Amino acid sequence: MDLPVHVQLDLHRRMVRIRLFEEAAGRLAESNRLPGFLHLYVGEEAVAAGVCGALNDDDHITSTHRGHGHLVAKGGDFNRMMAELMGKATGYCKGKGGSMHISDTSLGMLGANGIVGAGSPIAVGAAFANRYRGRGQVAVAFFGDGSTNIGAFHEAANMACALHLPIVFACENNEYGEFTPRDKTMAITDIVDRAAGYGMPGVIVDGMDVIAVHEAAVEAVERARTGGGPSLIEAKTYRFYNHHGVQNLGLKYRSDDEVAMWKQRDPIFTLEDRMIENKAATRDQFDAIWAELRAGIEAAIAFADESPYPTPDQIMVGVYTSMSGAN
Amino acid sequence: MADERKLAYVMAFNEAVKQQMEADPNVFCAGEDIGAFGGVFGTFGGLQAKFGADRVVDTPISEQAIVGLGVGAAVTGLRPIVDLMFMDFICVALDQIVNQAAKLKYMFGGDAVLPLTITTAGGGGLSAAAQHSQSLEALLCHIPGLKVVMPSNPYDMKGLMTACIQENNPTVMIKHKRLLGMTGHVPEESYSIPLGKGNILRPGKDVTIVAYARMANEALIAADELAKDGIDCEIIDPRTLQPLDTDLIVSSVKKTNHAVVVHEAVRFGGLGGEIASQIQELAFDYLDAPVTRIGAPFSPVPFSPALEQHYIPDSKTIVQGIRDVMARV
Amino acid sequence: MSTVGIIVNPNAGKDIRRLVTPATHTSDVTKVGIVRRAIVAAAEAGATRILLMPDRHRLAERAAEGLGLDGRDGRCSVEIVDEPLSGSRHDTIAAARRFWKEQAGAVIALGGDGTSRDVALGWPDAPLIAISTGTNNVYPSAIDGTSAGAAAALVAAGHVDIAVVGRRSKRVTVRIDDVVVEGDAERTVSRDDLALVDLAFIDAQFVGARAVRDPNTVRAVIAAVATPASTGLSSIAGRVHPVDRWDDTGVLIRLGHGGRRVRVPLAPGSFTTLDIAEVRPLALGESVEIAGKCVLAFDGERDVPVSERGRVTVRVDKSGPLLIDVDATLIIAARDRRFDEKQTTTPDPEADGAPHGH
Repeated sequence: MDLPVHVQLDLHRRMVRIRLFEEAAGRLAESNRLPGFLHLYVGEEAVAAGVCGALNDDDHITSTHRGHGHLVAKGGDFNRMMAELMGKATGYCKGKGGSMHISDTSLGMLGANGIVGAGSPIAVGAAFANRYRGRGQVAVAFFGDGSTNIGAFHEAANMACALHLPIVFACENNEYGEFTPRDKTMAITDIVDRAAGYGMPGVIVDGMDVIAVHEAAVEAVERARTGGGPSLIEAKTYRFYNHHGVQNLGLKYRSDDEVAMWKQRDPIFTLEDRMIENKAATRDQFDAIWAELRAGIEAAIAFADESPYPTPDQIMVGVYTSMSGAN
Repeated sequence: MADERKLAYVMAFNEAVKQQMEADPNVFCAGEDIGAFGGVFGTFGGLQAKFGADRVVDTPISEQAIVGLGVGAAVTGLRPIVDLMFMDFICVALDQIVNQAAKLKYMFGGDAVLPLTITTAGGGGLSAAAQHSQSLEALLCHIPGLKVVMPSNPYDMKGLMTACIQENNPTVMIKHKRLLGMTGHVPEESYSIPLGKGNILRPGKDVTIVAYARMANEALIAADELAKDGIDCEIIDPRTLQPLDTDLIVSSVKKTNHAVVVHEAVRFGGLGGEIASQIQELAFDYLDAPVTRIGAPFSPVPFSPALEQHYIPDSKTIVQGIRDVMARV
Repeated sequence: MSTVGIIVNPNAGKDIRRLVTPATHTSDVTKVGIVRRAIVAAAEAGATRILLMPDRHRLAERAAEGLGLDGRDGRCSVEIVDEPLSGSRHDTIAAARRFWKEQAGAVIALGGDGTSRDVALGWPDAPLIAISTGTNNVYPSAIDGTSAGAAAALVAAGHVDIAVVGRRSKRVTVRIDDVVVEGDAERTVSRDDLALVDLAFIDAQFVGARAVRDPNTVRAVIAAVATPASTGLSSIAGRVHPVDRWDDTGVLIRLGHGGRRVRVPLAPGSFTTLDIAEVRPLALGESVEIAGKCVLAFDGERDVPVSERGRVTVRVDKSGPLLIDVDATLIIAARDRRFDEKQTTTPDPEADGAPHGH
């Protein structure tokens, strides 16, 4: 048999954790309980889960402005994540980063990033360090289709290939750069067509199918880990909600039919159906998983609610590694 | 001190890098032409031959990715030195410097440590024109999270570069292109000069000149000139611009009651404004005259030597500036 | 009216096999170039109407851009047919069906084995020129767009007889009977399908990234074409029992211990050892039934999961597309002086009067 059931369940669990966290964040944002911007990952779960499921704990990832899913998939803690979204002192970033900078360096998650394209050069640095240390770690740069139009991506891809670094470029092609469709901003359809220009292989996978993403990620990660150099995976995916927030002030830039078509291909439900057909799991088992994880998210909201806000004396803390830099 | 060991500014930099690479296997260098070629100014000369291509890395001409390489490697535990050939090129890499290197630690809630040194070469005087001659230090000093260093002599260069490499924050080491060949006493053993500590380059009692990098040397010439007229200048070289040794500057001004700030960068919006402002906030009652700023005119750096020599402040400009300040008494 | 239909599969040549092996990537720009050459050559060779499959990548649109082939003043017309787009292989199937309805005299299809299979699903008897832009292609060949366009137009216009240059290819005809559970109810679902090269039974639960990665999961292969000069699943049969494209036979290979051990390039540039338990030549039309849980791989790509209660009935027969021999077509046309410049009524200003340039 191909993929062991425990791996299938692991990928499923990562996706459900992302879905529950993001749905909860969306609800909180709609009731004005989250300050700032919120870019939800719902719909794209198979990408983060499929790729992170192929990584070791000490591998590194860089992320995007739509970064909650990557942190959850890398093992992020609901409590500290939710507290950060609320701007609380107990959050991952002690209330200094918020949704767009959520990170856990101990999990190898080098931060969501508010600057489109900026994560890729950082992933190149992590990949360089990983090879330098020689412990077989790899780095993955998650990025969107839109970020391949910015110079940083090009520089990072070229440098990674020139230095033959252990890195995987994981593109989440959700067909829109903010509100503008991809075909208005580039003359190619497949990001993967860029890969050969840097001298690395690039492959397209169905980003709504966690198994497909995982299969490709396993190959790409193995290639990187064993000295085969960079590669690019383009996952064709879709965000179920808007660029930011849930309704995004009612802005309309995608047809209802299009959204409905993609929602039919929900990565979590299609995996569940297939696993039930394969008798690898039962509906009751899935229900129990959802219930267990849902309880975790409710507890995280309560934890975040009860947590204190950072005090004003914390403004100057953490600018420098010691306080010597303050003027 | 006839047998005093002398070294050029450029070799003082090189020696600091070499010694730190020997001391710490996590230190590596990356940049354009720094490996086989040794850097366009020879700053990294011989290092690749000594440490290998894995530790002295030739990169593509990709300033964003060069700094990104440093950020990613630093945040995952290495101690990178990344070189941007000319200071003007920081503009190509500003996102990685300003939005990433400077901010990751803070945005991540203080957990991230970024022992990253960005080295670059600033300043004019080589007819290199407007894109290869700038002094953009004020831009960097405005960014919380960065430390900025501009040494004025070989001794400071080695000590400050050593401190930058050992520092656990992102630092920008700005070499001055016109000082690369300047020789001076440099001890062979490794030593560091604490970041944020200024230096009294010349003690005096009548007027405080705050000057750094090449301008500190011009100030020394100016001070000798003024001494003939009985004006005794005290020259403060802050050496580190961010964090700035405000205490040293202020205590000097309290003694001399006059202050002139000199830099090669354009005067408007330059660091001189910040220093002057700090002096008036902290030593207003001691001042016998307004704080004067000497800097370049508000134009891009011109190409022709005929123009550039009038553009960049020098000892004569400084002498005149100080006479003006003293005349107001 | 001589109509040529062109299908370009935007998804071909980009799948996971480029990661697993040194397989070639075929960019959209490459595909657009081939289609553009085919259009120009078909118009040159006498096509009056060229129909293009629409696609999400706008490859057809870009290929035809600026050629000025609008059907006016006796020029050939190029039209992108109006079909709803799914972004999937169904676009190819729909286009082939449409070309059938439009009575195209020849179809050019760019893609891999999978693309040719989809053409055959939409139009089983398609007069076809299959151009390889895929991965381990057995059915389509490396043909330049210029030659393909010319040959297609010559056949479509009747200048070269399809009966002479078209040959009926074989196919693997598949029927799947499976039991679907819906709540407490069960029902049997049957479907017909086909492969042009081979059908493989894979021990897998998921279609996943489609390519067959693990050689140990291959249980059996039934091949209409088995050439040792190929890579991929068809090379398994090809290396133990070659079956030519035009042989009136097929082959069944079962994998398992106890028989020959063969080195096989399961993907381009990637060899593995396989244990062959059974090699069985199949006569055309001979039916084979294989039951049990698996994923069926058609022409090298995992596609249809079958449950443990499913039954798959397979035969190799001669009901595939009419494959056009491009070389033969162009040779016949050349012998018939089809490429000589026609006498035009308007005199060529360069040709009359005093000699130039002396």
